[in-house]
Amino acid sequence: MALISTRALTKRYGSHVTALDSLSLDVEPGIVGLVGSNGAGKSTLIKILLGLISPTSGEATVFDMDVRTRGTDIRQLVGYMPEHDCLPPDSTATDWVSHLALMSGLPRTAARERTAEVLRHVGLYEERYRAIGGYSTGMKQRVKLAQALVHDPKLLLLDEPTNGLDPAGRDEMLELVQRTGTEFGMAVIVASHLLGEIERVCSYLVAIEAGRLLRSAPLGTFTEGTGTLAVEVEDGSAGLVKRLAEQGFATATDGRAVLVALDGDRTYDAVRDAAVDLGLAVVRIEPRRHRLEDLFRDDPEGHAVPAASVAST
Amino acid sequence: MTAETGSIYDLGYRRYEGPRLGRAHAIRSLFWHSLRSTWGIGRGARAKIAPIALAFLAAFPAVAILAAQALLRQFPGGEGFQRELPVRYETYASTIGIFVILFCAAQAPDLFGRDQRHKLLALYFARALRRTDYTLARIAGFMVAIFILQLLPQVLLFLGQVLLSTDVGKGFLDEAPSLARAAVQAIFTAGLLGGLSMAVSAFTPRRAYAVAGIIALFVIPTIVTGIVVGFGSEDLGRWLILLSPTSVLAGTNALVFDTTITSDGGIVPFIPAWAYVTAALLGTAGSILVAIRRFRGLSV
Repeated sequence: MALISTRALTKRYGSHVTALDSLSLDVEPGIVGLVGSNGAGKSTLIKILLGLISPTSGEATVFDMDVRTRGTDIRQLVGYMPEHDCLPPDSTATDWVSHLALMSGLPRTAARERTAEVLRHVGLYEERYRAIGGYSTGMKQRVKLAQALVHDPKLLLLDEPTNGLDPAGRDEMLELVQRTGTEFGMAVIVASHLLGEIERVCSYLVAIEAGRLLRSAPLGTFTEGTGTLAVEVEDGSAGLVKRLAEQGFATATDGRAVLVALDGDRTYDAVRDAAVDLGLAVVRIEPRRHRLEDLFRDDPEGHAVPAASVAST
Repeated sequence: MTAETGSIYDLGYRRYEGPRLGRAHAIRSLFWHSLRSTWGIGRGARAKIAPIALAFLAAFPAVAILAAQALLRQFPGGEGFQRELPVRYETYASTIGIFVILFCAAQAPDLFGRDQRHKLLALYFARALRRTDYTLARIAGFMVAIFILQLLPQVLLFLGQVLLSTDVGKGFLDEAPSLARAAVQAIFTAGLLGGLSMAVSAFTPRRAYAVAGIIALFVIPTIVTGIVVGFGSEDLGRWLILLSPTSVLAGTNALVFDTTITSDGGIVPFIPAWAYVTAALLGTAGSILVAIRRFRGLSV
């Protein structure tokens, strides 16, 4: 069963703003990172999945239920942690979280018990009878996570869960998210614009940009080899390029590095021989790996040249 | 982050296998929450000051008259006072009208306004209930709170009258119909004033704006229509009085208690009683629909 599935999902605001642009996507259970810069459409996608806003066109299902028609059913199985503040300062954490448990359909006594448990899970047990207005940002984020967990959802949608946290707070929140996902088998979707965070907790990555899908794949495949060898020499890289091109290798330069399309050991041999013949001082020879950041580079020709464009040089 | 709050206690998370009561349960719970919050129950001490103070003020005429009655019974000639009670069911609603209006203005923004101010709506709408469920549960809770505010003093009055009468059984039968009428009038009041003030407060997260808006809505039409109707008291101009919520309620009160409408309450005769009832019902339904529309379209 697909956890989430979208087909040509589009959301426009007015005629000018397109938040989601024909997004098609299948997400399997696990801890899934949803990455994209601010305004890429992450929050819009989450809100559509929750039925908080309706799409302009296209289809979206959660647990095989259509978001347009089965919103109420979906929402009972989903926990949502919004990006923005969503806590009443005059309430205590216990009152607010248990109130929302009732809103999710839990009986009154169960709501009380679950609230105590979930607040303890997020590490707020001691402070739970204090008014939220006096909480630190880190504590507020925990309350927000607690309310998303209180009805024991099958899917957790977290929108920028580390927003406003200091480095220590970020670490703790990420650890909490990871533990919730791995130990209890809960499907989690973490939206973030910080790749470093996503990398640490997620096993699967969905990258979107300007409302379009860039890539959706297991985390490992994002950092695979690019099929390019980067060679750095002290001086005379122009000569090296010339020599390699003469032998039929596709080459390009990237700053001080010479990029050569990788074709087995033959490439290494050719680079070695050329360096010896030209008397070049080699600084480093390494296969280029994709970096997560490359996904979002404005100028894809700039730093890491994709293998395809090298080969065509 | 400080040391005390910085650690996460790994005592485990447990799955919930118990019953899930769904949407209807969520709606009921939100209704009770709204009713209790309006009275300050389950909130801090400061939230209780306004509703409790206004409830005391609303009950004061009933309590005072009962005390006076009990006292005067000791003296010869005190029974005469009994027949000329200055506080009666048919005038009670208008006597405490100002407190009901103040209660609306003070408490309605605490429900819709607070939810918008602290961006709580996203969490409500992401749960088992729908937007319209949320709106109706909130409004219903508030209306019942207004109903209680208006009727409770008259229940005290009723109990006092029954207990002070020489024949308790006869006293009960004498007074019960009046209390029933008072309850009907309290329904009109709760519907119209409660509905209008919730509709106003649905449009702003700012408490001050909502308070001002509610008071303006209840007071300004009364003044304006009073002037217009006073000038051109012929035909059509007279119907303008239906734009004033308090005048409409004075009209329903006259019908409910089967008294003649006098100019004391700013009421002009010659408008049929059904017009007031229709205006009250339309005003109630209209303000509920306005609030529903507002929350349907609101982006969270």
